[in-house]
Amino acid sequence: MRLLIVEDDAEASEAMARGLTEAGHECVVAADGHEGLSVAASKGRFDVMIVDRMMPRLDGVAMVELLRKDGDQTPVLFLSALGEISHRVEGLKAGGDDYLVKPYAFAELIARVEALARRRETGSVQTLLRVGDLEMDLIGREVRRKGQEIDLQPREFQLLEFLMRHAGQSVTRTMLLERVWEYHFDPQTNVIDVHISRLRSKIDKGFDRPMLQTVRGAGYRLDA
Amino acid sequence: MRLPRLVRTTPFRLTLLFLALFAAAAFAFLGYIYIATAGEAARAADAAITREARSLEDVYGHGGFNALNEAVIERSSSTRGFLYLVMDAQGEPVSGSIAKSPIAKPPRDHSWASFGLTEADAGGARVRRPARGLEERLPGGELMFVGADVGEAQGYVLKIVNALWGAAALVIVLGLAGGVFVARDVSRNMNALNEVINTARMGDLGARARVRGAGDELDELAAGLNDMLDRLERSIAGLRHAGDAIAHDLRSPLTRLRARMEAALIEAEAGRGDPVGALRQALDDADGVLRTFGAVLAIARLEAATEAPDQTSFDPAELAAGVAELYEPVSEEKGLDFDAELAGGLSLRGNHGFIAQALANLLDNAVKYTPAGGAVMLRVRRRASGEIELSVTDTGPGVPEADRERVTGRFVRLENSRNAPGVGLGLSLVAAVARAHHGRLELDEGPGAVGGMGPGLRTALVLPGG
Repeated sequence: MRLLIVEDDAEASEAMARGLTEAGHECVVAADGHEGLSVAASKGRFDVMIVDRMMPRLDGVAMVELLRKDGDQTPVLFLSALGEISHRVEGLKAGGDDYLVKPYAFAELIARVEALARRRETGSVQTLLRVGDLEMDLIGREVRRKGQEIDLQPREFQLLEFLMRHAGQSVTRTMLLERVWEYHFDPQTNVIDVHISRLRSKIDKGFDRPMLQTVRGAGYRLDA
Repeated sequence: MRLPRLVRTTPFRLTLLFLALFAAAAFAFLGYIYIATAGEAARAADAAITREARSLEDVYGHGGFNALNEAVIERSSSTRGFLYLVMDAQGEPVSGSIAKSPIAKPPRDHSWASFGLTEADAGGARVRRPARGLEERLPGGELMFVGADVGEAQGYVLKIVNALWGAAALVIVLGLAGGVFVARDVSRNMNALNEVINTARMGDLGARARVRGAGDELDELAAGLNDMLDRLERSIAGLRHAGDAIAHDLRSPLTRLRARMEAALIEAEAGRGDPVGALRQALDDADGVLRTFGAVLAIARLEAATEAPDQTSFDPAELAAGVAELYEPVSEEKGLDFDAELAGGLSLRGNHGFIAQALANLLDNAVKYTPAGGAVMLRVRRRASGEIELSVTDTGPGVPEADRERVTGRFVRLENSRNAPGVGLGLSLVAAVARAHHGRLELDEGPGAVGGMGPGLRTALVLPGG
């Protein structure tokens, strides 16, 4: 993937670029909003832009607003030290696609960047999701594995839908809590793990190959 | 300079403004009275003069010029109060009570005039009195003048006008004096308030304005200022306390983290040990520190704000059902009997995210501290007082009454909870959320000690109904 990092803290952007390059992505770095805009306009197509919210000269929100006005629809992940809901809403209103509060775990950053790039690929409306021998009918609200119907609670269905839409990618507990439950706080207990293990017992039990994997230090991944 | 300062005060300026408005109104009033009364007097005099002239014309019509002449001579010596003059066609006086017509140019038909009448008053001084007169040419070409002294009527009007002038002057003087008095009084009270503000500006938040007990807007201002200073002082004390708490509670994990990394470095330099394992451990420690930091920050922000941000209206049962759904599997896995009793049709106004988090913290505690085989009950209901209660009751060990106040403080963990995960910020966040919604957090005993369990704990987030 080609990523554009717009961040005024040189040390932070360098560390980020090193980690993302290590993960197999190509990174271009800009030091503020103005530079970000000119790089976005001149250096070709990017898969995802990682934009710091608070920067000198042109800040991240203003930069993304200008970008969107120009018709650039590249997915944007905002990074910010401001974590309140109103800040989040402001960022998303300006045209951001996701919002990550500093400080964050690197696994969280990678998972979100990859999820954003994926979202762009599957833009069309789907009625049937298929991962390996697992099928989800979004209209009939039915799930089958190897043709065998699996009975899921509404929340388990939403959880599996999210995992299937991001099949092959790591998704973090925070991403699940934000996207499936729409909560933006950190539950102290491992509530998500228990939901996942319930889901796992429904979709993997009785089949020879487990699909729902635990990714150490990151979260979970649904593999075909 | 005392006076310029006084003149600059708002009450004094208002007094001046009202005086100016009053003076303008008084002038308009005087003008109206003058025009109405003076005009009326002149019209009445003119009518009387016209009537007298008609009666003399009748005499002339019946008896000719000689009869008129006689009538004028007779009437001039009477006390009818009119001035007469009969002249021949050339304007030469023939008879009458005045020597010369005040109208210089004899008219072809008739003509009115206002003129001054010079007379000697009772003391012998010469005074000029206003008069009106009508000069007519008679059918035979002779001239007749009839006039009247209107001084009495106009003098009456003038007296009223002079009295009103005097009253206006008195009002202005009294108004100015009152303005000065009010301005000085208000300015003295305002100075006291300003002094308190200046003291606070210099950094001393201890000074308070005196509320005089008059119940006026200045008292309201003083009370408002005092309340603001109280809140400011509390919030600064809260921040200072939060700072101390952060320093205290982050120092030990940070020290541990540093020591661990140093030991790992020494081992790695010597070619021994497990550097990857040490780094992994260090990351976990750092995450723990960040989590604590985030929680303390969230509490401090809520406490610094007088009111929770981003408030909306929502159904508390729906919110509770969502949180219950999140915790139900974890409580079932632990072997707890989980139940929810959610009254519908209620409406609550507040920050949805914070209230959900507060309820999640209460459920989290209940699930964490209740042993297997116990029960956890989530309840949403409207109390008789109209308040909305979101409560969690468990059959765990509970909190001794003496500790209930204390556990809502930051970083407080009771002796028997040392082994459970957590940093001791859960309940203080709930308390902060409650305060930010003008509500409170209540801690009570649960259902009591039964079968080796209990007495349990009931925690309730009580919020004003919307």
